[in-house]
Amino acid sequence: MQWYYSKGAVQLGPVSEAELKAKIASGEITTSDMVWKDGMADWVPLTRVPELVVTAPAAVQAPPPISGDSASSYIPPVSAPQPGVNYSGQPIPNYLWQSIAVTICCCLPFGIPAIVYAAKADTLKAQGDLQGALAASKSAKTWVRVSIFSWLAIVVFYILVAVIAGVSGTHL
Amino acid sequence: MMHWRRALWVILAVLLLGAACVLLYRNGPGGTPFLPGCLFRKITGLNCPGCGMTRATYATLHGDLERAFRLNPLGMILLPIALLGISLEVAGWVRGKPLPFTFKLKRNSGWALLYLILAYWVLRNLPWWPFTLLAP
Repeated sequence: MQWYYSKGAVQLGPVSEAELKAKIASGEITTSDMVWKDGMADWVPLTRVPELVVTAPAAVQAPPPISGDSASSYIPPVSAPQPGVNYSGQPIPNYLWQSIAVTICCCLPFGIPAIVYAAKADTLKAQGDLQGALAASKSAKTWVRVSIFSWLAIVVFYILVAVIAGVSGTHL
Repeated sequence: MMHWRRALWVILAVLLLGAACVLLYRNGPGGTPFLPGCLFRKITGLNCPGCGMTRATYATLHGDLERAFRLNPLGMILLPIALLGISLEVAGWVRGKPLPFTFKLKRNSGWALLYLILAYWVLRNLPWWPFTLLAP
C-alpha cells in the first residue's frame, strides 16, 4: 500500500509502508505531519494511524494507551494542512491522458468508459468527495487496463496466426 | 527516491515502442503482422476515433505530416498531447514523487474531451462533405 505524507503544505510520496516507517524511525516524518493512503477519506495526523505510530520515536517513550483509545493522546498539530485547502492537491490520479491514448490507439470502445471515469474523478475531487473520486480513479485505471490487455490479446492472436501460417506454408 | 524497477519497466516499454516504430517504418501499415488494424471497423464497417492512426504514424515517421493530419486530424492533435501528459506522470511515478510542474487541464475538460471524441466518432462516419474530410 502506497502512503502519502505532508511536510507543512508540501505533499510528498507515494512511498511504501516500509519506506514510510523508515522515515518515521529516522525522524524525517514527525508526529505533527499528516499522512494519507488510498482508501482513506481524509488526511490524518501520524498519531492517529495505529499501525504506524508504534514505530514512531515518540510512541516508544509514551506508555501504551489502556483502552486503545489513541484519540485521547492526540494533540492538533500546528503544521497540519487545513481541510479545504488541501483537498485541491490530493494526489488522486485521473488517468485522463491514458484514457485518451487508449481510445485513439487501441481502436476498442473500452476507452470511452475510461474517459468518463477520468472526468468523473476530477469532478468529484473538485466537489470534495474524495472517496467517490478515488473510486472513479480506480475505475478509469481498470478500463485503461482492459483496453490495453484486450488489444495485446488481439496482437498475440494475430502473431500466432501469422506464425502458424508461416509454418504451414499457406497464405491467409 | 528513485524506483529502479519502475524505471526498468519504462525502459522496456520504450524499447518495445521503438521496435514497433522501426518495423512500421520499414514494412508499412499493411506489412506489419502484429498491427491488426481496427477491430471495430472490421466488425461494424464504421470508422472509430482512432482509425487511420497506424497510417498516420507511418506518414509521420516518413515526415509527411500533411498526410498524417488528413488521415486522423483529431488523433494527430490529441495523441501527442496525451503522450506528453503520460510521460510527465510516468516520470513522477519513477521518481517516487510528482514532478514540480503538472500538465493538467481544468476541472471540466475531461467531459469536454469526451464529448469532442464522441462527436468526432459520429461525424467521421457521415458520408457528406465536409465530414468526409474527417474520415481516414
